[in-house]
Amino acid sequence: MSVIECRELSKAYLRKKVLNQISFTIEENKITGVIGRNGVGKTTLLKIMAGFTKETSGEIRVLEQRPFNNLYTSVNSIFVDDQMSFPPALQLQELLEAAQTFYPNWDMDFAQRLFKYFNFDPKHYHNTLSKGRTSTFNAIVGIAARCPITIFDEPTTGMDEAVRKDFYRALLKDYIDHPRTILISSHHLEEMEDLLEDVLLLKNGKVHLHIPISDLKEWAIGLQGQASSVLPWTEGKEVLYQNQIGLNATYVVIKNDLSEAELAQARLNGVKITPVHASDLCIYLTSDTKGGIDDVFINR
Amino acid sequence: MNGNFESNQKVYSQYQLAEMFTINPATAAKGLNILADEGILYKKRGLGMFVAEDAKENIANKRKSGTLKQLVQELVLESERLQITEQELMDMIKAALYKEGRK
Amino acid sequence: MSLSTANLMETVKKQYSFKLKANIDAISSLVGIQLVAILFSLGGIGGSLSSSEGLQINFNYYSADVVLVFTMFWALVTAITITTKPYRNHDFTFVTNRLSSSLSNILFLLTGSLLGAVTANLSRYLLQLIAFLFRDQQVYSGPFDFPVFILGIVMSALYIFCVCSIGYLIGALVQVNKSFVLLVPVLIIGSIFLGESILVQLFQFYVMEPNFVFFLIKILITTALFFLASISILNRMEVRR
Repeated sequence: MSVIECRELSKAYLRKKVLNQISFTIEENKITGVIGRNGVGKTTLLKIMAGFTKETSGEIRVLEQRPFNNLYTSVNSIFVDDQMSFPPALQLQELLEAAQTFYPNWDMDFAQRLFKYFNFDPKHYHNTLSKGRTSTFNAIVGIAARCPITIFDEPTTGMDEAVRKDFYRALLKDYIDHPRTILISSHHLEEMEDLLEDVLLLKNGKVHLHIPISDLKEWAIGLQGQASSVLPWTEGKEVLYQNQIGLNATYVVIKNDLSEAELAQARLNGVKITPVHASDLCIYLTSDTKGGIDDVFINR
Repeated sequence: MNGNFESNQKVYSQYQLAEMFTINPATAAKGLNILADEGILYKKRGLGMFVAEDAKENIANKRKSGTLKQLVQELVLESERLQITEQELMDMIKAALYKEGRK
Repeated sequence: MSLSTANLMETVKKQYSFKLKANIDAISSLVGIQLVAILFSLGGIGGSLSSSEGLQINFNYYSADVVLVFTMFWALVTAITITTKPYRNHDFTFVTNRLSSSLSNILFLLTGSLLGAVTANLSRYLLQLIAFLFRDQQVYSGPFDFPVFILGIVMSALYIFCVCSIGYLIGALVQVNKSFVLLVPVLIIGSIFLGESILVQLFQFYVMEPNFVFFLIKILITTALFFLASISILNRMEVRR
């Protein structure tokens, strides 16, 4: 069953188009990573799903209803980011209690355990927390709310590495016990890729790829070796990334559509074939140039 | 291969694996299915996955035909680059075999 | 995961009790502002009478009018404040839609209005008590009539609530377009200078209405219209953090 459906969804702020006629569906109880460069519309897309922001044109259905200004969407979803706003007059403990009254699936015992584990003081106030602590507290609210649609927008902002690992693990374990549809946007694909089932890659306000992460990992291959032996293999293929190494060695990333025989042949020609990490691939796929930052330094 | 699991023993479920390695359960399931496709595991409906009778031979065969073959291929390739003669290469392999005192 | 349904009235109720706790500062500022108003009123409105026989009577008239005016000012500011972005975003952290957010705000303002009306009316007696205790004056109070007392509270609450609705509308307008921050004061001050008769007419229309039922209808309809306008404005607002 698909819980989120977009059809030619567009969003424009003033005259700037942030999302441009995107269409996709998200299946129930999957963890999807929303990946893309800064300013590509990740947050906008997630906010439209949460009903915070209104679509300019096209159609979006969350749980078969239009999310904007919809109480049904609101009670079944939670949107977590580092800007989540809580009344400054309430202590952290009171905020958890407030969350409990609003979210029907809220697990207070679980929330309290996380709260204790991360050493929060129930009497502290939300606006006095540091950046990383704010993110951690918000994440606790996001996990313990157990909303059928849980949206995390850059949830790990400011968290240190240990907390980030704990967060991903806590999210996964709770997901296994209580499956739900989860969307996470993050710049750190490499540290959350194991958590994901699907990847939604945005580029220039469009959905560039929407595939299982396991497919993404095999989606491209890297060819490395003498330019003379590597380059023939890239003929007629789209080169995703190319980098000159030293005088005449080169590293090229292409879509992985070579057959086993071709791969073997390439190896015999002295081409080193390597898998491309999902996070690297995403950088290549979403960049506008083939050589990355190095292009800036060429031909000066 | 190391004898962690005996034949016909039940292996970890996708959820146990997911928790163990902090990976998505769907990914873990895919891994188990690959092993099942290769005949290393077999499914019992409603009960889970079990180690196949001939899992060990299966894996050994696969490593012989796949991994080892590829390693040899690379060995040959490297020796070509270094312009090592066939005799030299054979001698090196023999030396490695006897040095470790296995034969 | 099982899906939940949300009922508008249930949600409003939850938001209302959440807001009572979250906006406790607003209530305490009401108490503070009323205390200040009482201080201002302590002088009373004075006068003296002297007779030809050399007898002089000084009298002070103590009323809660200043307290009421201050409370209205509080109502205006509070109503504007809760339309601002941080306050609206508090709702969107949890379960809400724009209608439930506004309805719970209105309930909160109504609570504040009632509370303010009760304390403002009681402050008259506090003033008289202070005058009696500390100023060595003879206090002559009108006879205490419970129905009149309640009527006084209801009328002041309605006035304060009406001011809330004005504040809420101003706040909503400002949220749509920041230029209303300038426009609204200009309009108000302009109308004072140019159309003095408008103010007088307004005053006559509401305050001078002798029939309580008509007054009730007039002020309730006005308040409702202001709130309805605000709700329809805020209903289109997006959440930007």
